[in-house]
Amino acid sequence: MNEHQGAGARQVLSHSSVYSSVFRIPAIPPATSLPPFPRQEPYSLIFDHRLVQTETQLQCAREWRESGSLTPTMAEVAAFVKPKPRPIIRIGLFLISQSLLVSIICCVAGVLALLLLPVLAKNTYISENALMPGSASPMLSSADASDGHIFLNKIMSMDSTSTNTGTEIPEMIGKHIIESGGEVNYHQIQPISDNFHPLQFFLGPDVGIVQENYSCTSYGINTVGIVRAPRGDGKEAIVILTPYNSVKTTTSEALSLGVAYSVFSLLSRVSWLAKDIIWLAADSRHGEHAAVAAWLRDYYALSRGDLEKNQDMCVASSVLGHELTSVQRNGVSNGFRRAGTMAAALVIKVADSSTGFEKDGLKIYAEASNGQMPNLDLINIVNYLAVHGQGLQVRVEKIWSLLDSWWLYSLGELQELLGKVAKSLNPDWKFGIPASDYVEGCATLASSLYNQALGVPTGPHGAFRDFQVDSITLEFSPRFSSSQRVLFLLHVGRLVEGVIRSVNNLLEKFHQSFFLYLMTSPSRFVSVGVYMIAFALLIAPLPLVAAALFSDKLKSGKDDVSLEPSHPGESFPTFTAWNWLHTAKTVLIVHLWGAIVTIIPYFLSQFPNSSPLTNLSMWIASSLVGLFFTCAASGSLSISRASQLQIREWTLLKAVTVTAAFIGLCLMSVINYATAQIGALLLVPMCLMAVPLRIDMADKTMKALLRGACNILLVFAGFPPTAFLMMRGALDSFERVRIDDFWNWTESLRAWNSATYIYICMVHLPCWVLCIRILLLRR
Amino acid sequence: MATSFKFKPLTISILLLFLCNAIASSASGSSSTTMHTNNWAILVCTSRFWFNYRHMANTLSLYRTVKRLGIPDERIILMLADDMACNARNKYPAQVFNNENHRLNLYGDNVEVDYRGYEVTVENFLRILTGRHETAVPRSKRLLSDEGSHILLYMTGHGGDEFLKFQDSEELQSHDLADAVKQMKEKRRFKELLIMVDTCQAATLFSQLQSPGVLAIGSSKKGENSYSHHLDSDVGVSVVDRFTFFTLAFFERLNMYDNASLSSLFTSYNPNTLMSTAYYRTDLYQRRLEEVPVTNFFGSVMETIHTDSPYRAFSNRYYRKSKTEMPSDQSGGGNQRALEDSDVLEELADPKLNAIQVGCPLTHTWNTILGRMEKITQIDNFVNCGVVLMFPIVALSSWFSH
Repeated sequence: MNEHQGAGARQVLSHSSVYSSVFRIPAIPPATSLPPFPRQEPYSLIFDHRLVQTETQLQCAREWRESGSLTPTMAEVAAFVKPKPRPIIRIGLFLISQSLLVSIICCVAGVLALLLLPVLAKNTYISENALMPGSASPMLSSADASDGHIFLNKIMSMDSTSTNTGTEIPEMIGKHIIESGGEVNYHQIQPISDNFHPLQFFLGPDVGIVQENYSCTSYGINTVGIVRAPRGDGKEAIVILTPYNSVKTTTSEALSLGVAYSVFSLLSRVSWLAKDIIWLAADSRHGEHAAVAAWLRDYYALSRGDLEKNQDMCVASSVLGHELTSVQRNGVSNGFRRAGTMAAALVIKVADSSTGFEKDGLKIYAEASNGQMPNLDLINIVNYLAVHGQGLQVRVEKIWSLLDSWWLYSLGELQELLGKVAKSLNPDWKFGIPASDYVEGCATLASSLYNQALGVPTGPHGAFRDFQVDSITLEFSPRFSSSQRVLFLLHVGRLVEGVIRSVNNLLEKFHQSFFLYLMTSPSRFVSVGVYMIAFALLIAPLPLVAAALFSDKLKSGKDDVSLEPSHPGESFPTFTAWNWLHTAKTVLIVHLWGAIVTIIPYFLSQFPNSSPLTNLSMWIASSLVGLFFTCAASGSLSISRASQLQIREWTLLKAVTVTAAFIGLCLMSVINYATAQIGALLLVPMCLMAVPLRIDMADKTMKALLRGACNILLVFAGFPPTAFLMMRGALDSFERVRIDDFWNWTESLRAWNSATYIYICMVHLPCWVLCIRILLLRR
Repeated sequence: MATSFKFKPLTISILLLFLCNAIASSASGSSSTTMHTNNWAILVCTSRFWFNYRHMANTLSLYRTVKRLGIPDERIILMLADDMACNARNKYPAQVFNNENHRLNLYGDNVEVDYRGYEVTVENFLRILTGRHETAVPRSKRLLSDEGSHILLYMTGHGGDEFLKFQDSEELQSHDLADAVKQMKEKRRFKELLIMVDTCQAATLFSQLQSPGVLAIGSSKKGENSYSHHLDSDVGVSVVDRFTFFTLAFFERLNMYDNASLSSLFTSYNPNTLMSTAYYRTDLYQRRLEEVPVTNFFGSVMETIHTDSPYRAFSNRYYRKSKTEMPSDQSGGGNQRALEDSDVLEELADPKLNAIQVGCPLTHTWNTILGRMEKITQIDNFVNCGVVLMFPIVALSSWFSH
C-alpha cells in the first residue's frame, strides 16, 4: 500500500516537471548562486520587461540607482532569462506600435459594418415549437364581431350624450364583462408625481406608492376583466390592454375597446384556455403608461389589505354605488383581482388616421425602457398571423427622411452591385439585397436603433417589460369607411385571438428566441452577435491608442525627468510612470462633476413655471460654475497648478481620457447597446483626434491645420445639445428645430428613467470636457 | 436378491439417461426452433407537452390496432406521457383524435396505460425490455414474454442520429437499445422482435442491433426528417405522423384473420407520400418477409391445436393440419397464402418440440421424456419387459423372506 502511494507521489512529481516544461517556466537558480549582476544590466520592475525597450530599461536602472532602492528581485532574474514573448503579446505589441493605422482601419470598418447591418439581417423564424401560430383556425365569428360593433356604438353614444365624469364607460365595460361570464374589478389610479429613479434599470420598478391627496374626480379608473381558464391551473395569464381616455373617448379608442370586447367575450366561451385572460381597459387620462404602470405595480406588489384600501377610496362610492350594487354580489368586487403571472401582454390600439395602403395596416411597437425588447418570437407570431392569417400590411417604425437620401441609395446600389459581382464569380455567394430594400432596411434600423438608444418606451407595453413581461403594442390603421367596421373588427379580433391561442400553447416563459436584436423590417432582424461586431470594431482602437500614448509618454517622460528633476516639495514619488495617477485624478474629478450635472435638473424642476429655455441656460450655467468649483476644490485644474499640467503632459491626459471613454462605452453597451453605439460614433473620433491646438498651430503644416480644424468641428458636434439639434435637423428640417427642444428631450429622458440620460451626463459630457481641455492646453 | 441387485443399477442408469436427454433437449430448444406461442406489444410515446399531441395519438392508434387484432391488454405495455386528453388546451376534454374528422376517439373507455407521465423514462424502458424490475413492480407492468414470444416494439417521439429523446430530459441511444435486445435474446425473452420507430432519422436507432430474430423498420433514413401528416385546425395541433398514418391506413383494411404479409406492409410505404424513406432492416431476420403475416406481430393469432389429454402433449399421430381458409388478401399484395406457410407448421413437424407452452418446468420435462420414450420404442419394450419381470422377482423375494 505504501509503495503504491509512493509511486503515486512520484508520478505527480513527474507530472509537475512536465507542466513546467510545457509552460516554459524558467528554472530559477537559488538566490545564493546568482551571478553578480553588472550594475548596468537592464531590468525593470513596473512594466513587463518585454514591453520596454532597452533604452528605457537603462533609464529605469539609472533612476532606481538614484533612488537607492536597488535590490535584486525576481524581476531581475526574469529579465536576465528573457524568454521569448508569447505570440499574443507580440501581436498586441505590434498593434500598439501601429495604433494610428489600426485605429483608422477599425473605425472605418466599424462604420461600414454598421451600414452593412441591413444586408446581414436574417429572416425571422419562430423558434419556440410550442407556439404553433396559425395551426388552429380562428373561432371568432362575424357574430362576435358585430357584438363588438354594438359595444363600440354604445360607447360612442355614451360619449356624445352624457355629461362625462369618467365613470360611465368603466361601468358599462364592467357590466358587459359580467354578462359574458368574466370577473370584474376596478382599479383606481392617480397621477404619479415626477420622481427621478436613475437606478431603476438596476433595481427594478419602484413598488412604493405615493399617497397624496387628490380629489375623487382626478382618479382614473382601470377596468379589469378576468376570464379564468376552465381547466387551467390559474398560474399564468395573458393580458389584453386597451388604453382609452374615459373623459373624451375617440372613435379609434372605441374601436380598440370593441376589438377587445369581441375577443374577450369569445374567450370566455372557449374550452381551450390554459392561461387566464385579463382584459385591462386602462384609463389614459393621466397618460397611458402611468395607468398601466400603476395597475402593474399593484398587481405585483399589493398583497395585504387590498380590500380595505379600495373601499376607502372614492371609486367604490362613485362607480359601484348605484347601478352595480345588484351585480356586485355576483362578480364585481372591490378587492384587487389577480390571475397568474403574465406570459405576454398585447396592447391594442387603433390609429386615428387611416393608412394610404390598400390593406388594413398594422404597426408594431416593441421598444421598452432602456432599449429592452420583448422576445422576438412574440413579434414573429404577430407578424406571421397578420401577414398569413389576416392579410394585414405589417410595418415597424422607420425614419422616413432617410428613405429619400441619395447617399444611402447609392450605397445600396453599390452593395447590390457587389453582390451581383460576387454571385457571378461564385453562385453560392448570396449577399446583397435590392437597393430599395437596403434603404428601407437602413431607415428601419436607424429608427430601431434610435428608439432603443432613447430608452423611452414607445408605448404602454413598456410598463410590462419593467416586470419582465413580454409585450408589444399593435397599432392598427384601418382603411375603412365606417360601414366596414365589422369586417375590421373581425380581422383584428381574429389576429388577437390567434396570438392569444398561440401564447396559450406556451409551456414556459418566452425564452427560445432573441431578446437582443434590431429590426430591419417586420420579418428581418439583426441579432446581437452581428451588431456587436460594429460596436466592437468602433471601440477597439481606444485601448490601443491609450496604450500607445502611454508607452510613448513613458519613453519621452524619462528624458523629462532626467532634464528637470521634480519639485523638491512634492510628496508624490518622482518616478514618471506614476504620473498617470495625476491625470487620472483630473479625469475622475471631471467625471464626478458629471454626476453633479446629472442631478442639477432635478433641482431646477423644483421651480415651477420656468420656460425650457431658461431651464436649459440655467443648467448650462450652473454646470459651468460647478465645473469651476469642483476643479478649484480638488486643485487639479486650478490656475496655480496649470504649470504642472504642461503641454507635454497632454498625451498622458489623452491616454486616461480615452481609457475612461472606453470603460464608459463598454459599461453602456451592457446596459443599452444602442446608446453605446450612437455614443461611440460621436465619442470615438473626438477622443482619438484630440491634440492640443497649440501643437497644430506650431506645426503650421497643412496636415496639422486640417487636424486642428477637424478637432474643433468634432468638439462642436460632440457637445450634447448641438449633437441633438443637428441630428434632429438632419432628420427633420432645420427650420423647426428650437434650442429648448433639447431641454424637453432630456426632461423626457429623465422622466422615463432612461440610462441614456446618465450616459450623456456621466460619460459623454466629461469626455467632451476633457477633450476641450486637451485642445486648450497651454505651453 | 441377486437379480434385484443386478437390475437396479440398470434401471437407475436408464433413468439417468432419460434425464440427461431431457436436459439436453430443453437446452437445445433455442428460440430459432421454438414455436411461436404468444404475442406481446410494447408501445412507447417518448414525448410530452401539448405540441407533441401527434405522438400520443400515434401510440394510442397503434394500441387500438393491436388490440383490435387480438393482443390482449395484459400483453400490451403502454408507455405514455398521457398529458393530452386532460390538457387544459384540449378543446375536446378527455378525447384524443388521430384524424381531423374526429370519427374515432382514441381515448375511449378501456385504455390501460402501464407507464404514465414521468414514469416514461429510459430506465423504465430498459427495465421492461430486460425484465430486471424491482420486486414491487406488479406483473401488469412487466414484459412476461418467453422464448416463444413475438414482440412488437413501437416507439415514437423526437429522435436524432442514433438516439431517441425521452420527454425532453434524457435520451435512449442506439447502443442502449441494442444492448437491451441482446440481453433479451440471451434471456430468451423473445422469439422474434419487430422494432418500429417513427421519429426523425429513425433508421439510425436500430443500426447497432446484432441479435438474431430482430426485424426493424423506421420511418426515415439517416439525415431525413419524419413529418406529421395533417393538422387538425380545430384542436390546433398536428394529430398524426405520416409513417404511422399510412401504417394505420394499411391495418384499417385488415381484420385479425387476414393474411397480409409483412412485406406487403413494408412495401406499402411510398416515399413520396411519406416525405421520408421508410427503411427496414432484415439482415438479422431469418424468415422471408413474404411468408410472415403481419398478425404474427400486430395481432395474436394462435393456432388452436386439439389434444386428447390435457397433460400429454400431442404428437404426430394426433396432429391434423388445420388449414385455415383465408378470404382474399385485400392488402394490395394480392398473394393468397394460407397459414401453413407460417412457421407454426414447420415447427410442428419436429415432434420432439411440439409441446404447447406450459408454465411448470417439471411437466415440460415430463412431456419431453414422454416424447423421447415414444421415439425410442425399443427401450419402451425393454422397460415393459422389466416391469413384467418385476412381479416374479417381487414374488420370489417375498417368498424367500418367508
